[in-house]
Amino acid sequence: MILFSKHLKLSVAAVGGLALCAHGAQAPQHININQLSTTVEDVVVPLPNEIFGALNKLGAVNWKEHVRSDKGPNFTERPRIALLLGAVIADGFIAVQAEDAPTVKDIGQRVLALAKGIGVGNSITPHAKAIIEAADKRNWENVRQELDRTQNSVQQAMNEVHDEKLSQLVSLGGWLRGTEVLTSVVKQHFSTDGAELLHQPDLLAYFQTRLKSMPEFNLPIIHQIQEALGEVKPLIDVGNAHIPAESVKKVNEITTRLGTGIVTRD
Amino acid sequence: MNGFAKILFRTSSVLVAFVIMQRASFASVDDAQSFALQAAEPYVKQGFQVREDYWGGDLASGEKKAVRQQLFKGNEYWFWLGTEVDRAKVSVHIYDSDGKLAEEPDSWEKGHFAAAHIIPKTTGSYFIIVSVEESPEERTHWALVYGFR
Repeated sequence: MILFSKHLKLSVAAVGGLALCAHGAQAPQHININQLSTTVEDVVVPLPNEIFGALNKLGAVNWKEHVRSDKGPNFTERPRIALLLGAVIADGFIAVQAEDAPTVKDIGQRVLALAKGIGVGNSITPHAKAIIEAADKRNWENVRQELDRTQNSVQQAMNEVHDEKLSQLVSLGGWLRGTEVLTSVVKQHFSTDGAELLHQPDLLAYFQTRLKSMPEFNLPIIHQIQEALGEVKPLIDVGNAHIPAESVKKVNEITTRLGTGIVTRD
Repeated sequence: MNGFAKILFRTSSVLVAFVIMQRASFASVDDAQSFALQAAEPYVKQGFQVREDYWGGDLASGEKKAVRQQLFKGNEYWFWLGTEVDRAKVSVHIYDSDGKLAEEPDSWEKGHFAAAHIIPKTTGSYFIIVSVEESPEERTHWALVYGFR
């Protein structure tokens, strides 16, 4: 980000004109996807607000009823803290959608406490402060940006100390909470476009693969998530077919159950 | 004095060469990311939220890399590619899961910047193909960032 700021001052104006003077890109109309399989990079897990944004475009959502502000227990197991941290960051995005400043501020504090619990508090302190300040000013765009930065900083700090698996659990916790809320909204006002937002089979496969590589995290919640993802897969991996209301309901039941497990002591 | 000037000139030349080599060797994916973010900057003013997370690496001239990404129907996305190598030419294109070109016609490439625009017709996985078309370097760092609204 320091480099970004430095270069930004020098060349924003120049880059701003790029789209106007750049030529149209020539690219083949079709490629053979199977030939790419050996060179494909890992996915970047979408943030919950990416899904919520698409959901908002389908009709008004009463985000206030999905806001969750209870602090939950303090875990000592690092994988549990990582899952909870991801879920709490997702709760932050929900509170932003609901424009609920007091909850956003509570979540800023909670994120900091959880980050300290897994030893990455130092990298989060400035973001937590920025979240609280932006919530005070009701600057929702800044809160969203800081929540994204928070997740990124937590994961970078974990990767730096070779805790990539915990970093992946943060993403998974956020994805599960986002999916719980997505299915809750779509279940209430079903539409095929809303249900289509669940069509994420590659992302689900990505999480399944990652969980398989974590045998050292021998915790009931991890096993429950592994089993549950196996239940969810056939419900959302439907190819070109529509995802029916019944499947949305089932995914909601599964993710709600997991969400309760993530925030509850065994 | 003439001999001293020669020694000074030679020493300075070696130092300059050393500094240039150091700069080249310290160039990184982070530098490439700063250029990708520069390409994204004008779009932020249009309401695009740029993700903090990004992909990066290095490629030889003519080499490609595919990135798989989940996109959601209803959102609009831009993917911005950058490298710190001034004289490199890079490109980025988006294909759907059947391998069909899925990007909008206003996607662009200009030297060491390129961008691809997509309004997904379906929710699912898409392939973003990044390529270093030309470069004076043996390996060229690249970084890809994306934004949505």
